[in-house]
Amino acid sequence: MDVAEIIAHHILDHDWGVSLAGFHLPITTHTVTLLSVSLVLLLGLAWIARMGQKSRAGRLLTTLSETYVSFIRDGIVLPNMGQEGRQMLPYFCTLFLFVLCVALAGLIPNMKTATANISVTAALALCSGGLILYCGLKFHGPIGFLKGFIPSGTPGWLVPLIFPLEVVSMIIKVCVLAIRLFANMLSGHMVLICLLLIIFVVGQMHIAAGAGALLPAMGLEIFMTCLELLVAFLQAYVFTLLTSIFAGSVIHTH
Amino acid sequence: MALGPFSTRDHLEITTLGTEFAVSEIICAGAGYWLDQRFGTSPWLLVAGAVAGFALGLYQVIRGAGKMTKKNAILEKVEKEDGRR
Repeated sequence: MDVAEIIAHHILDHDWGVSLAGFHLPITTHTVTLLSVSLVLLLGLAWIARMGQKSRAGRLLTTLSETYVSFIRDGIVLPNMGQEGRQMLPYFCTLFLFVLCVALAGLIPNMKTATANISVTAALALCSGGLILYCGLKFHGPIGFLKGFIPSGTPGWLVPLIFPLEVVSMIIKVCVLAIRLFANMLSGHMVLICLLLIIFVVGQMHIAAGAGALLPAMGLEIFMTCLELLVAFLQAYVFTLLTSIFAGSVIHTH
Repeated sequence: MALGPFSTRDHLEITTLGTEFAVSEIICAGAGYWLDQRFGTSPWLLVAGAVAGFALGLYQVIRGAGKMTKKNAILEKVEKEDGRR
């Protein structure tokens, strides 16, 4: 049994795309997960909006969605971005729900966590970077946005040194957003498969040892799955919160 | 939930500092390595990149800590004025 190959198979993306006239359409497990989550969210939320206040279920779901939006607005956007953040609220609502649902979809058998792929998290971080740039340009204009990178009270001769450092710092902050989400999701799933593999690795030594390892390994597996549930919520919260903090720091520069 | 003199937001920023340090080091050293391969100057640009990355990481940590200290000093002053401390 090649343990490394099994772990790699569990973690990595699988391409079963089609090639048409030299053009390759990469249909991978991650893209399927992303598209299905997007479709479910789009149709599901549209359905909730259409249900309205007519039925009891509609009222319940509408109340739930309103509570969710209030949580994002009062818990994340307004404290970090102020009133200026109100216009960006739809982006944060979408971001939180999307990151959360993609992470939760990874816990469904036969589906994969697409956020355990650096390309997906990099794309999400790029969107957040775009929003930060947009906020800076919208509220301060191009010159004011660039001026905001220089901390107040910096002596004139230090500006040529501090300015590039601050610009690179902001770019790195956006990169950190991507890497943090990717690393958390990837590590969680690696731990899950490794715990499961303990049974087989120990079982190869002796079948009785494998049977003995079954209960503790399964206990740990259930514990880690619960932890993954928590991590899914936590990482969606952290990603949204950090985006709002960075956007807020661009809006309120000093 | 806030622990000690720091808010939840401060905690989040503190945990980000470590990753920021690592990422700035990796990005700068990676850029140095790539330039080395391109111009055949191995290993000088890699070393320069690693040093620059370390400096950048350190700058971020110091600036992040300074920002938090400044914010807490302002908070303390306001609380003293209000008679909460």
